Amino acid sequence: MSSLSRRTLLKAATAGGAVAGIGGFSALSQLFAPLMAGADDGLAAFQPPAAKDIDDASHVLNRLTFGPRPGQHAEVTALGAREFIARQLEPESIDDRWIEARAARFEALRAWPLGELLEYDARELLDQLTRKKILHAVHSKRQLHEVMVDFWSDHFNIDPSKGDSKWLKPADDREVIRAHALGAFPAMLKASALSPSMLWYLDGRVNRSTGESDRPNENYGRELLERHSLGVDGGYTQQDVMEVARCLTGWTVRERAKSGFAVGKVEFRKDLHDDGPKTVLGTAIPAGLGAGDLDRVIEIVAHHPSTARYLAEKLCRRFIADEPPASAVSAVAAAFQKSGGEIRPTLTALFDTPGFWSSRGGKTKRPFHFVVSALRATAARSNAGPALQNHLLRLGHAPFQYPTPDGYPEDAQPWMATLLWRWKFALDLANRAIDGTSFPAAKLARAAGGETALAAHLLGRAPSPDEMAAATASGAPLALMLASPAFQTF
Amino acid sequence: MKSQLTTFVSGQRDPAGTLVIVFLRGGADGLNMVVPHGDDLYYQARPGLGIRKPDLTDLDGFFGLNPHLKPLHSWWQSGDLSLVHCAGSEDESRSHFEAQDFMEHGGLAAGGWLGRFLRVRPDAGQSPLTAVAIGPTLPECLRGAPSCAAIQSLDEFGLGPGVPPGFLQSLAKLYGTAPRELGPAGRNALAALDRIQSLTGTKYAPSHGATYAADSFAAGLTQVARLIKGRVGLQAATLDLGGWDSHITQSVIMDPPMQRFAAGLHAFATDLGPEELARTQIVVMTEFGRRVAENSAAGTDHGRGGVMFLLGGGVQGGKVHVEWPDLATQLAGPGDLPVLNNYRDFLAPILARQAPGTDLAKVFPGHELRPVPLFS
Repeated sequence: MSSLSRRTLLKAATAGGAVAGIGGFSALSQLFAPLMAGADDGLAAFQPPAAKDIDDASHVLNRLTFGPRPGQHAEVTALGAREFIARQLEPESIDDRWIEARAARFEALRAWPLGELLEYDARELLDQLTRKKILHAVHSKRQLHEVMVDFWSDHFNIDPSKGDSKWLKPADDREVIRAHALGAFPAMLKASALSPSMLWYLDGRVNRSTGESDRPNENYGRELLERHSLGVDGGYTQQDVMEVARCLTGWTVRERAKSGFAVGKVEFRKDLHDDGPKTVLGTAIPAGLGAGDLDRVIEIVAHHPSTARYLAEKLCRRFIADEPPASAVSAVAAAFQKSGGEIRPTLTALFDTPGFWSSRGGKTKRPFHFVVSALRATAARSNAGPALQNHLLRLGHAPFQYPTPDGYPEDAQPWMATLLWRWKFALDLANRAIDGTSFPAAKLARAAGGETALAAHLLGRAPSPDEMAAATASGAPLALMLASPAFQTF
Repeated sequence: MKSQLTTFVSGQRDPAGTLVIVFLRGGADGLNMVVPHGDDLYYQARPGLGIRKPDLTDLDGFFGLNPHLKPLHSWWQSGDLSLVHCAGSEDESRSHFEAQDFMEHGGLAAGGWLGRFLRVRPDAGQSPLTAVAIGPTLPECLRGAPSCAAIQSLDEFGLGPGVPPGFLQSLAKLYGTAPRELGPAGRNALAALDRIQSLTGTKYAPSHGATYAADSFAAGLTQVARLIKGRVGLQAATLDLGGWDSHITQSVIMDPPMQRFAAGLHAFATDLGPEELARTQIVVMTEFGRRVAENSAAGTDHGRGGVMFLLGGGVQGGKVHVEWPDLATQLAGPGDLPVLNNYRDFLAPILARQAPGTDLAKVFPGHELRPVPLFS
């Protein structure tokens, strides 16, 4: 950082403090925009895909990343599609310092201890969280990791607008979702169960037992089974929901409104725990285990065959097709079960299925994916600020703003009304009419080697004569390609 | 599913009506808007601020409309307007932020009640123009909606300026042969754009002799009226009207927004005409009402129960919903009109009519709904 920009930043920080709560945060974040400059444009001349259909390199870029950046197709072709997969499965081996350094500017997200988060304006936190997610999706080289972060953010969906979640979701993002995205599912499930943000979102914090007549709050227990593990058809009963809820009684969070210190801290209150014997999914849990009940519940549900099946189905729906082949689901479920819920071997099995390799271009991008893939394809630089976030809102896919525990839907149909706003985004991006977002238009076409080559880069295959004719007639070929049916799919 | 998609905006009319939510921000004093002139205790509590009976437009022998709300009287008479007194939420903070947040989220819940409604209604996600917030930002009640745009003018509603002439034709060509659900969806979006274009391309002339004032509330309502008449598939619109926080010199503070409010709604309902008004439900709410007794600065402080206005939508009008409390013994906290009507119990029947089959428990979690019959 130059001394000039450091001074500017310090000044901005002061100004931001003075007007805290009235948009000071946006002013401050705007100043990060220049710091984002110097991103790797990848704009040396590059070789776009030439095949008529989606080749192996385009396919794995489509499915394992938020879309190819300029030059990435040639890189993956040289490396080999399977080797690319193997590397993406080892994110630690990928140098990602560039984006990590930039994301470090979202200092609120690193606040520790948790109580520190409470010092921030809640809108500032949501803004930083959203920016960080967008910029990571656009720039991180650990793309599969980011794709899985997106997947788990929906799987363990939290809309932080409820109660103290407003302040605690950044910790969930950091310590549940990001920490375990390619790790072990049972550990992630436990981390989520004890995440203060989740305890707020699904009322776990008020799930307590103080006597015979007190009924536990079932909200989290139900979603744990229905959404997070076995799945709605996973074979549990209402009795299981109640028993899980009993097991989890007593886990609570220090509230902002009530406690002066250690706000956000998760505590086990033995006096509010139902310590009698329970039976969950046919397994007996003896009386007197106290906080240990939680570990037993996690172990039972994380290793249940329905959980393997449910997660395999969801993963196959994300990586293969909205209606994935049954053989692929079985293979993935078996790998999950065999590995004890390790996510990497599970994904390895998925990427080995014939179904994965034969399902090219048959998925429809969700709006976030669409926006990020357009930014990546055009080597755009963005501050991920209000103008870009407004597009995501209009598209109905603003990160961290889905109200119910099922998370944003994965299949294409629910998103079909968003096309108009996708076209608007395509036009605004191409016209550089999104405040804080720009891309090197002339350089991009030159680096690709002309209009047809640029179209091939965007579509992941050579454009058809119809597509090129439409692009030429449109008067805005780049916007048209981004708005075209083919760019909506992956 | 696909056939519904293609017909959503291409038919003669939208299948469903439009919900227009007006939020009076700042805690509007319901007692001086819909005045219980039949209750002497009201005048005893407000010796300076009470609105004298001769100045009111009587509604039912007990309540009367504030003179500044007189333009709304004709809608009462025509049976299009009903009122809910002692309305509000269970939030007792008496803080603007907390009470608005609570009311807009629908309790301690994630997302906004309107956003959830638009997500869970059976026909969700079929129109690209589901919801619009008039103003610079989205209100909390719309948080989580499947698609919503905060706009200040209709020009922001379509693709905007700078669309080259051949662009839409090229899109039509490509989407004409697009696979799976993309083809119909593309044609649907093109049809919606067509409608928007016909709206923005012309100068708007209100119907039925309606005249909108020059203020921004009226301007916002004009935009909503255009969208409703344009049949773009709009399911919900929100507007804010602020300036109600009348701690001092109440009438100086409150009279201007009351005039804007009444004139705006009157112009809007007139402009829509009977047929459109019947399928447009206007709901007006505020985060809380104000203390019954006036304060020493000729104002009123933050209270509890307020007033909701329900206009159009086929609601059976000409009624003030309330079992009027005894102002001597039934006040809440430091002397506030109690909340006897939970606002959700009035929204629930309206939402059920707008989108039959909606699981209202998902829209209003954590509240045991007792929907009030509003329709004949």
